[in-house]
Amino acid sequence: MRSKGTNHNTTFGDKVLLLLLVFLSVYSFIFIKEVMPEGSDIRIEAAGKLLYTLPIHINKTVEVNGPLGTTVVEIRDSRVRIKESPCNNKICVHEGWVRSGAIICLPNRVIVSITGKANKKHEDIDGITG
Amino acid sequence: MESQDKYRVALLSSYALALHGFETLIPSPIPWLRLGLSNIVTLVTLYQYGMKPALMVTLIRVVLGSLFLGTFLGPAFFLSLGGGLAGAFSMGIVITLFPGLFSPLGLSLIGALFHNTAQLFIAYLFFIQRIDAIILVAPVLIAAGTLTGAINGIAARYLVIEIQKADRESPSPMTGT
Repeated sequence: MRSKGTNHNTTFGDKVLLLLLVFLSVYSFIFIKEVMPEGSDIRIEAAGKLLYTLPIHINKTVEVNGPLGTTVVEIRDSRVRIKESPCNNKICVHEGWVRSGAIICLPNRVIVSITGKANKKHEDIDGITG
Repeated sequence: MESQDKYRVALLSSYALALHGFETLIPSPIPWLRLGLSNIVTLVTLYQYGMKPALMVTLIRVVLGSLFLGTFLGPAFFLSLGGGLAGAFSMGIVITLFPGLFSPLGLSLIGALFHNTAQLFIAYLFFIQRIDAIILVAPVLIAAGTLTGAINGIAARYLVIEIQKADRESPSPMTGT
């Protein structure tokens, strides 16, 4: 089988395929965010050690110490945020309130993650395509 | 197989192998996330010599690459084998059934998609068995595959154009020199 012609410009098929894949990528991220169960426990780790495991429904402010100083973690209304941090860029603080996933402050080595499967409202998925 | 074809397959396999090895030196944010540069060679082989040589190049690259990297018969080897063959097969089938529908860019995107899908299947069937973990990883792989597939496809396009230009200028078949 020799080469298939000499024209290798982007075809209509290429464009449609690329658009479809970009759409699929974006949509699958949104889909995952919707489908993944929200957690029940908040784990707070500093400098590689697990310091607290707290239920998400309590309202509490916790202070943990990392290499740079004190990071303040606030839990309220089943959400969690890093309220104050001694780090420079404050990415963790700007993340704001989260209900699932994790907030990680690398400079101060603080990891706040939400785990567990108490909230099972999405459990009735019966099929996934794509 | 003629001796010249054997020579071509050996040469192309060594190119693929070099890219495969080089790629492991590039730091990646996630360990199993790779550029898939050797897919450029698979794609060029497919364009120039057809499906069977492309599959052979992929097979040789995966087996020898795993021997060199010390992952032979380990999980990484089976993921690499399944992904590589699925990518080469999918591109070969598409180019045979619909010649001209896609340029190397489109074919590379198809290859990347099937490569990643096959890897997810193999990972689920043999290694992880947790569908939630697989579903969680899938969007990352689809997005990364689209990006790297596009980059590799563009690289393969330029390579194919140059090789065919060289082919026309000299009557003897291009052997990769």
